Amino acid sequence: MAVQSLDTRRLRTRTRAKDVAGRWVFLLPATLLLVAVLAYPLLYTLQISFSAFDLGTFAPSEWVGADNYSRVLRDEAFHNSLTVTGIYLVMALPLQILLGFGIAFLLNAEWRGRGVIRGLFLIPMVVAPVVSGGVWKIMLDPLWGIVNWLLGLFGVSAIDWFGSSGVAMISIVIIDTWRSVPFVVLIAAAAMLSLPKDVFEAASVDGANWWHTLKSITLPMLAPIIAATFVVRWLGAVKMFDVVLSTTNGGPGQDTNVVNLYIYRQAFQLLQFSTSSAMAMIVLVITMALTFVFLWSSKKMEDRL
Amino acid sequence: MTTLEAPLTAQPRKPDNPRRKRRSAAAHRFRVWGGVATCILFLLPLVWMLLTSFKFQRDIFSVPPKVLFEPTLTQYVDVLTRGGFAGQMLNTVIVAVGASVLSLLAGAMAGYALARLNIRGAGTIGALILVSRGVPPIALAVPMFLVARSLGVTDTHIVLILAYCSFIIPYVMWLMRGFFLSLPKELEESAMLDGCSRLGAFFRIIVPISLPGLLSTFIFSIILAWEELLFALILTNRSATTFPVAIAGMVGDTESGANWGALAAAGMVTVIPVVILSLLVQKWLIRGLAEGATKG
Repeated sequence: MAVQSLDTRRLRTRTRAKDVAGRWVFLLPATLLLVAVLAYPLLYTLQISFSAFDLGTFAPSEWVGADNYSRVLRDEAFHNSLTVTGIYLVMALPLQILLGFGIAFLLNAEWRGRGVIRGLFLIPMVVAPVVSGGVWKIMLDPLWGIVNWLLGLFGVSAIDWFGSSGVAMISIVIIDTWRSVPFVVLIAAAAMLSLPKDVFEAASVDGANWWHTLKSITLPMLAPIIAATFVVRWLGAVKMFDVVLSTTNGGPGQDTNVVNLYIYRQAFQLLQFSTSSAMAMIVLVITMALTFVFLWSSKKMEDRL
Repeated sequence: MTTLEAPLTAQPRKPDNPRRKRRSAAAHRFRVWGGVATCILFLLPLVWMLLTSFKFQRDIFSVPPKVLFEPTLTQYVDVLTRGGFAGQMLNTVIVAVGASVLSLLAGAMAGYALARLNIRGAGTIGALILVSRGVPPIALAVPMFLVARSLGVTDTHIVLILAYCSFIIPYVMWLMRGFFLSLPKELEESAMLDGCSRLGAFFRIIVPISLPGLLSTFIFSIILAWEELLFALILTNRSATTFPVAIAGMVGDTESGANWGALAAAGMVTVIPVVILSLLVQKWLIRGLAEGATKG
């Protein structure tokens, strides 16, 4: 035994020395690729955002300092797109988290069909955003759509789901929620199943009703998972682009012109590469800052428990 | 409810109280049926797309909407034989598989390094990965377009494959790191005792036993690449275009409702492969999702 452990120790030292070289072998492919397709483009965007852009050579030309930024910050349409994105996030995220955890509670009821139901819930999640935009555009059509027909049975007059101000954003949120809630559901269902059962049994023996159980046991125990799910959903939702592009295309007017779509148009339809890069950097900073805040508070929540 | 009823019963605080039992049985039934109903509700849009894809144009435009109709395959035939949709599907498959293979290889190795090799700053790298998921793709779009243009590689599969690595690799690293952390250390240590190098141990011991995790991560990567629109819009224009670009165009053109059948059929063609894939690895996919989200 002693010999063996000595052997192991010597081997460990040798391994450690080898690992110094080895770890870089492991990290090299990912590092190279990420530098090429993530770090370099980001730095390039940063450079363009501080430069004028020469459409003749298709390259950034002279350094103009913060000119692009000051121009962007005065751009009303950019402000509007940030506001629109904010409205979408404030509507969609709480709704999706709430629905997701609520549905997960229903799905976790123990019965034979539970696995099948959970499997079926995967399906909307893998539908491409543009396709879900298409499906809903068919269903929400003001003239021939099945939703307006169904509502008509209840005496609701036809709604112009994508064409009327205010309603268009609701349609976007509906489509996004249909696609994203299953994701929250699956995470929430798995998390809820892993909660310790005995605590609930103790609560029920003590005569706690479901509201008390929910308020003082389930929610506090789920809080870190709710927070983590929120962060993941947030990271997905700030990229909102496909659904809007395919359904409302930012309209009516500028009502659903989320910031990603606005920047895309500025860059690739109007060829405003400098200002659109400045906008992209601003969005990047806002996103990063909020992500840090969310991560930090979810960590806080986890530590508290 | 409970507080109102409690004084009426002799022993209200026992869990085996028949009234309570009956109530919990009712609650259970409510959850089961509520779950089934919600599931049906979420699947209805897809059922409607499926039905629409088998309709003749005349059955699509009808009030009330038709649930019973003479089914036809014309929409599928049209969509797959005209307008290059079949080619766009093939492009999507090539790009998704290419990007996923590359990302899985690079990402799994890096995830292993983060999980196992005591790298100084592994925590920082981990945080960076998470943060990189917050990078809006639009912040990468302009340089990618400019570089691809100056290298003359726009509208090729490889440029999309590389672009997709920017968001798939961090995801793979994150998922695989969690997976490797759950494996016992002794596995590769014993292999290295037998004279295997770290890299050899990784490919000979770790990769084979991690196949379920690798497979579900692979399928997750496929789904991520499958649905990507922005990079495909800016980096391709004809020969390497993927289906999201085509469908975005079709959806945009439905103002008149003219091509609903084609749109529905095309949509079904894009949905079916990923649905089958994800149902195949359902169990692993759900676990991977849950861990990817919560193991932070």
